[in-house]
Amino acid sequence: MTRLQHLRPGLGSYAAAYLAFLYLPVLFLPVFSFNAGTIVAFPLTGFTFQWYEKLAEADALLGALGNSLIVGLATAVISTAIGLFAARAFARHSFFGRGPAEGLVMLPLVIPGIIVASSMLVLFINMGLQPSLLTIIAGHVFLALPFAVSILKSSFDQFDGSLEEAAYDLGETVVGTFRRVTLPVVAPGIVSSFLVTFTVSFDEFVLAFFLAGNEPTLPVYIWSQIRFPAKLPNTLALGTLLILGSILLLLAAEYFRRRAERSSASR
Amino acid sequence: MAISLRSDSAKGYALSMPAVVYVGFLVAVPLALMVAHSFWTQDYIDINRELTLENYRQAVDDPLIRLLLIRSVVIAGLVTGLTVLLAYPIAYFIAFKTQKKALWLILVTIPFWSSYLLRVFAWKLILGYNGVLNSGLLTVGLIDEPLSFILYNPNAVVLTLAHAWAPFAILPIYVSLQKIDPSLLEAATDLGNTAIERFLRVTLPLSIPGVIAASLIIFIPTVGDYVTPALVGGADGKMIANLIQVQFGAANDWPMGATLSIMAILVVAFVAAVFVISLRSAGRRIR
Amino acid sequence: MESDAPIVVVKDIEKRFGNYVAVSDFNLDLKQREFFSLLGPSGCGKTTALRMIAGFQQPSKGEIFIDGAPMRDVPANLRPTNMVFQSYAIFPHLNVADNVGFGLRKKGLSRQEIDQQVREALEMVELPNLGTRKADELSGGQRQRVALARALVMRPKVLLLDEPLSALDKKLRETMQLELRRLQQSVGITFVMVTHDQYEAMTMSDRIGVMFQGKLAQVDTPKRLYSAPLNREVASFVGSMNFLKTSLRAEAADVLRVEADGVGPMAVKRNPYGIESGHEPLVGIRPEQLEIGTAQPSGYDVAVKGKVTNVAFYGESIHYYVGIDGQDEPCAVAVTNYFHTVDHQVGDDVWIGFQNSSVIDLGKYQETGSPGF
Repeated sequence: MTRLQHLRPGLGSYAAAYLAFLYLPVLFLPVFSFNAGTIVAFPLTGFTFQWYEKLAEADALLGALGNSLIVGLATAVISTAIGLFAARAFARHSFFGRGPAEGLVMLPLVIPGIIVASSMLVLFINMGLQPSLLTIIAGHVFLALPFAVSILKSSFDQFDGSLEEAAYDLGETVVGTFRRVTLPVVAPGIVSSFLVTFTVSFDEFVLAFFLAGNEPTLPVYIWSQIRFPAKLPNTLALGTLLILGSILLLLAAEYFRRRAERSSASR
Repeated sequence: MAISLRSDSAKGYALSMPAVVYVGFLVAVPLALMVAHSFWTQDYIDINRELTLENYRQAVDDPLIRLLLIRSVVIAGLVTGLTVLLAYPIAYFIAFKTQKKALWLILVTIPFWSSYLLRVFAWKLILGYNGVLNSGLLTVGLIDEPLSFILYNPNAVVLTLAHAWAPFAILPIYVSLQKIDPSLLEAATDLGNTAIERFLRVTLPLSIPGVIAASLIIFIPTVGDYVTPALVGGADGKMIANLIQVQFGAANDWPMGATLSIMAILVVAFVAAVFVISLRSAGRRIR
Repeated sequence: MESDAPIVVVKDIEKRFGNYVAVSDFNLDLKQREFFSLLGPSGCGKTTALRMIAGFQQPSKGEIFIDGAPMRDVPANLRPTNMVFQSYAIFPHLNVADNVGFGLRKKGLSRQEIDQQVREALEMVELPNLGTRKADELSGGQRQRVALARALVMRPKVLLLDEPLSALDKKLRETMQLELRRLQQSVGITFVMVTHDQYEAMTMSDRIGVMFQGKLAQVDTPKRLYSAPLNREVASFVGSMNFLKTSLRAEAADVLRVEADGVGPMAVKRNPYGIESGHEPLVGIRPEQLEIGTAQPSGYDVAVKGKVTNVAFYGESIHYYVGIDGQDEPCAVAVTNYFHTVDHQVGDDVWIGFQNSSVIDLGKYQETGSPGF
């Protein structure tokens, strides 16, 4: 195969160039976050940790971080729980209207963010709910559900249904079968769904921007900082940490997803 | 317990109910409210609930709104085309030309998981008048004064969005290429096709579903993108979402905001439908 | 328990999925300690029947009794049956010992008792010292043994096996056929196996139930099934068979005198199931019951002249297809491949001969869509 790649230098080098296009812009954030100057431009003026040190002093930032963690965790728990049931229904049971139901649950993926954000604002105000972390969580669960359902559905798809029948056949109850067989086999998928939905929520901006009220999440906080050139280096440092965190979370999710694939592949 | 085994569909309904009801509620009710608002009007700080087409008339007559709608569709279309075009060879490369598929798939997905806001922000820093690109080129001596055509215009919006949506184009195309049975390609060769003919007559038509999926996944949300035009678009690069946000924010005219949202949905649905139908029929014409 | 009462009684079972009738008119008594096979082509309803005994599917009509107790309200986890699944369903997150001990943990046994029983079960299936092996490190044959041990350790009254050998390659399958049979005899439990492989069913079973389109066509010992099939369908599914359409000349209490075009008169023992023969009885002859030679054979009740149209070499046997004037289908003759036997070539004139006792009465001739073999 490597020989084939040598035969087609065009495609291989195109792929490399494409990766550079994907990564370079994001890599500028860390590079300039260590730059001593306050202007984001070449040439670099020196190496410093001071922007990171200043982050710890920003109370508003820590508040926003706390809000984001609360919203992210709640979103992850709720969407993974609801998604688990739905994924099982879609993977294991045949019922009239399954296709459309599955399509509906995937719908949030393709609605423009501004429409989701504005219409939820209208809905919550009309329901008498003031914008708060609660309304953000409600919106984020809506956005994260398609991710949870598709990850969990693939775990169920790869897992042989006769395993559950075997447990039941060996005398387990329905609940016991779920606890002793279903949960352990699907566990990596659950972890993966949890991490992905958390990340979706943690990075989401537009909906939180509309529904935040006076409790901003981290992206909303960053948005408010982007406008102040003086705060730029701080924002760069914060962004660098966030990107690092996201990547670690994704790699963890990927690790668990693969473990799920391996453990449920029954030959 | 016997019941649980007896009725497969009852179990299916019960399990999928929470998700379906939740999403169904949050799609249907807000949509209904938006439709209702679009027929109401803002009367200073109150909402006048008399049904009227006034908002739509105003929106259609307003050249700025028309311009923003058209620009949103054109930019989203350019982004979609550019992204799919750039992504297809990568998807092809991962599907057929490398053994390290998993590694490549992770590599192309990772950037997507870093905050969208931060990625757009990075482009703003790069493309700025005193930004990374200009200062870099100046330092190297390739240019004498900063380039001004690269930020705060539609080009910057297209470039930034094409970068942001790349993984979404690669994955569906990769999946549809991956599904192609290798013996189909061997059969095409066996029947006398060259590599290029084989690609055009077998691989490409079979990957059309992936191209359609990728295009829709990019086009639909992009029409309503808010962050990118706000950060890198400048005055000439603003899109419909920015105006909608103003209506719900500073202008405090929810009925007009709702009207614009509904119009955006209709335009998106129309363009997407035309696109899918024409691409499918194009796919069928290949023999 | 140790009486001769049947261990399983299946009474008037019908199973519908919507409008589709998967199983109907299903009646079956299973004896204590017998190895019973449900044999049939795919889609005949045999797996559905097995899953109704296991409790994974509820009959739409009828009742199943196990050891005298009605099973209608007994869910699968409380039935005295255990199952070996087609995919084996080895829990991927557990090791071999935990797989085998999975059901025992529900029985309130002590840790030592469970370990002891698991060890015995693994020894029984000849997998000692494999307890700590992970599920994904097992070969196909080992998975099958683990699945067996896991079910047998529960000491079920009936062990159900859903195509247990279909995932194994041919060599291993043949070994496992003998071993399953040996195991069944040593544990003395009733085994019910679903299979589509006639040879597998015949090698392993005390009795076989042949199913077509949701109905049991015939239940009998392998030998009887082979020598006295009830009808054309069973005859052609179990082994191969030459079919002859005949005309009835005379009938006595237990013998039919018939004549077939180009073959001549034969005396056929009446079908033991008392099916109606009509004016045109269909009769069948197994290919290995025919003698073939270049000269007219002596000592046979019937001798017919024909021409070889095709030869198929199977190694241990050779099949000659002999065209006979007056018959549409050539007649298949199976000859054991002794190295000194004379080879016949396509186009050779040959004689075939057989005894009246080899001819099987298959009842009234009916036009069927598919040829006999």
